[in-house]
Amino acid sequence: MLGVVDACFLIDWSRYRRRELLASLFEAILVHEEVLAQLRSPSAIDFASRLLARGVLRLYPWSTAEEELYIQLRDEVALDPRIPSLERPDLLCLVIAHRTGATLLTENLGVLRVVQFHPAYSRVTAWTALEVLEQLVYRGLVEVGSAEEFLNIISEYCEDTKHVFSSKRMKDVVERVRAWLGR
Amino acid sequence: MSAWRALHPSLTEELVREWEREDEEFRELRRRSADWKFIEEQPPHIRAALLYFIERGDRYVAAKIAGLTVDEFDELRRRANIPVVV
Repeated sequence: MLGVVDACFLIDWSRYRRRELLASLFEAILVHEEVLAQLRSPSAIDFASRLLARGVLRLYPWSTAEEELYIQLRDEVALDPRIPSLERPDLLCLVIAHRTGATLLTENLGVLRVVQFHPAYSRVTAWTALEVLEQLVYRGLVEVGSAEEFLNIISEYCEDTKHVFSSKRMKDVVERVRAWLGR
Repeated sequence: MSAWRALHPSLTEELVREWEREDEEFRELRRRSADWKFIEEQPPHIRAALLYFIERGDRYVAAKIAGLTVDEFDELRRRANIPVVV
């Protein structure tokens, strides 16, 4: 599986006790150099460096055509007050996901909202850490025997990263995992 | 608002209402969890950034108010016990 990652996801995931599992889920994760430039904390830099060294995290070769897509997308979404502000690096990730079909790993509410409504970018698959945890279960990389055990896995992530997932997102994911466990 | 909707017909009233409900839920979660004593003890620009983050949940603008990178601001919001809610 191919992924593309933004800075918020890397920053948060690098603090998670099971962070190394990300490399088992994805064959390659693309990253824009401007995303890497946003990392400052030792945990995020160390995590990204190790993924780069293993060849899992790969710098994306940005092109002029993609720069034009970025400008178009920026002009379309920059002014809406209901979309939390989107920095250039996050929009670059969205463009990369759109161009390559890679799954976008993001914790950015603005990006998630663009994917919810934008005619072109709604084709992008965007996962937060919650959906990544869900996929780790489906691929047998994290073993759970019940929905409650899955909730414990989520709690670990929330504790390590000081995260909370929305009640709707939690309900949807737990229902899917419960159905998968009962298959 | 209406000009924006004209530009984006796929942005339905239902979706906008869902976002508004979501924003309220997320704001309340951040307010409830925040370490208000820690926030009050911060210098004015850091305090303003943390208060902005509680209200809007936007790490980028909050980081700019604080004069920090997103990653540096994230360390601060963790110390202030303000969750990222998505």
